[in-house]
Amino acid sequence: MDFIKTVALPRYAEYNCTFRYILEKGLDVKYLLQPPLTQHTLEIGAKYSPDFVCTPFKTTLGSMIEALEAGADTLIMIFGLCKLGYYGELQEQILRDLGYKFDCINFSDFDTGRKKDYIRGLKRINPKMSFAKFAVAGMEAIKMGDYLDEITGEYYKNYGFAQDRKAYQHAYKAFLRDMYAAGSKSDIEEGYRRAKDAMSRIPLDKPLKPLRVGVIGEFYTAMDAFSNLETEQKLADMGVEVHRWMTATNRVIHYPGETNLNVKIQEYCRYEMGPTSTANIWSAKTYAEKGFDGIVHIKSANCTPEIDIMPVLQNIGNDYKIPILYLTFDAQTSDVGLMTRLEAFYDMIAMRKKVIV
Amino acid sequence: MKDAFLGIDVGSISTKGVILDEDNRLLCSEYIWTEGDPIGAVKKLIGLLEAQFDKKEYQIVGTGTTGSARKLVGAITGATIVKNEITAHAVGTTSFYPDVRTILEIGGQDSKVILVENGVAVDYAMNTLCAAGTGAFLSSQAKRLGIEIEDIGDYALRSKHPTPIAARCTVFAESDLVHKIQMGHSKEDILAGVCQAVVSNYLNNVGKGKRIVSPVVFQGGVSKNKGVVAAFENALGCKVTVDDNGHLMGAIGIAVLARKSSGRRKFDFAIENMDFRAGEASCGRCSNNCEIICVYQNGKIIDSWGNRCERGSVSV
Repeated sequence: MDFIKTVALPRYAEYNCTFRYILEKGLDVKYLLQPPLTQHTLEIGAKYSPDFVCTPFKTTLGSMIEALEAGADTLIMIFGLCKLGYYGELQEQILRDLGYKFDCINFSDFDTGRKKDYIRGLKRINPKMSFAKFAVAGMEAIKMGDYLDEITGEYYKNYGFAQDRKAYQHAYKAFLRDMYAAGSKSDIEEGYRRAKDAMSRIPLDKPLKPLRVGVIGEFYTAMDAFSNLETEQKLADMGVEVHRWMTATNRVIHYPGETNLNVKIQEYCRYEMGPTSTANIWSAKTYAEKGFDGIVHIKSANCTPEIDIMPVLQNIGNDYKIPILYLTFDAQTSDVGLMTRLEAFYDMIAMRKKVIV
Repeated sequence: MKDAFLGIDVGSISTKGVILDEDNRLLCSEYIWTEGDPIGAVKKLIGLLEAQFDKKEYQIVGTGTTGSARKLVGAITGATIVKNEITAHAVGTTSFYPDVRTILEIGGQDSKVILVENGVAVDYAMNTLCAAGTGAFLSSQAKRLGIEIEDIGDYALRSKHPTPIAARCTVFAESDLVHKIQMGHSKEDILAGVCQAVVSNYLNNVGKGKRIVSPVVFQGGVSKNKGVVAAFENALGCKVTVDDNGHLMGAIGIAVLARKSSGRRKFDFAIENMDFRAGEASCGRCSNNCEIICVYQNGKIIDSWGNRCERGSVSV
């Protein structure tokens, strides 16, 4: 089958499987999946980025270059509520200055809040699109995203306690492969069931009260394992139950709404502070109320909304007596410093728990 | 034959070693400069400790390493426990000061604050991207003024009117300091200003949002500087305790942790005469290009790390 376009998006955690599904099944264009993020991606991204821009800008720019090198002719950039809204325009300009020829569909151009404009954006991808087809594929892709977040959440909660960690990781990796290859609704459902089945068959040695850590943070860096140097995996390796509410589906699809969340945290902040700020403050407060042992706050360097919520988090930490580890990520090559901090954090919450219990 | 425990703390600037007996009594201790050669420094340190150590009465059955070179040194010494310096400092201090509530620590390249409740650490912070207000800054400024780092404290305490120095960033502080020198301020006033700058930088960065409650213990190499201690007492409005062994606290802490942990292995002083080398290799099996560190003992590989996945693992 001939496609009118070969479309790519920057790598974003493991969500590219859902992008692929919706673009190929709903919009009839070819989706190009570039290689996973590596040090090389970040290096080429950082080379052509402004020095003090947030790190995801560099990572996604590098990832776009890798997609163009692999043969993509159209790039899609998503919109966002912070600096992310300006990423697309600047990245397009940088790529054009580098001499790449491509079509750029920047959803920030269509982000007006009116349905009509978003449809115009979709029509830019494929003018002959069918709405019925898109709606069906869209719902299935959302389902895939839900499954992805569910299985990923389960993986990080249980990995540290699995009797056979290798098999547990293997089951998770197999699930990701299934999702990237899924071509129909039944593929998605089957992959999900297979993963659920494989993971639940591996026995867990979980104590009655395991160490629980809640991860909160910025939209890209908190979710993307490469960008946060696998912070969640490192915590899980130490035998910690890792929870993270902040996922793409929770923030975008199932978001309870700014007003609803704001009511729940009104003793800590009265204004909307940024795209993920309200949700992060609310998550931190929820983790504290549930008696978690610690909170890890992840952000990229120069992320203004997340820097702004740090004083609020400190208040929560003081009120509920819960330790909070603040981590900032930039284009680093070594994770030694991160290991020192995470190990110390683990030792601290483990020793603390022994004294309290 | 009684049991003893060796603790080694290899920092960016100095290398510390202690040997404790089972009741946390200090049998021997040594403090030397790392001088950019952690392997050489540790071999020298072990030689110096051996000279003080009573081999007839004691035997080292547990070894712990901490500090930024902990992994490398742990591989060389065959350590039974390798732990980060934050935990080591917290454990070391709380074993000697059970009532402590706040531990301030300023080392050569990093600074941290550890909050303690009921004898366990409950919160900590460590400087992240910037080395402003650490020992390295103090030593470079001492060199600029042509005095020994050990004398900064005495100079600072003689000052009547400390010179205000911008504390935000090492680079700004340095240009401010040069300016003040050229304006004719005395060395005493400038050094007192530098000590205050270190303290205000620490409290504004690492200590931001942390409740500093008395009793306060101050340690790390910079705690030997009386000027900084005075500036801390002034800024916090409470007494700041400096232990005579405050600069060794990381090594003491890791020796205590070696005693508490279950691992036991007899330590052999012979390693001071062995040849150790650390080499770096690029994995090259994917575009991550992990830097793999390999440690060789007499030309034979004994440990390696740095790989992100199994493709880069080196069989030992």
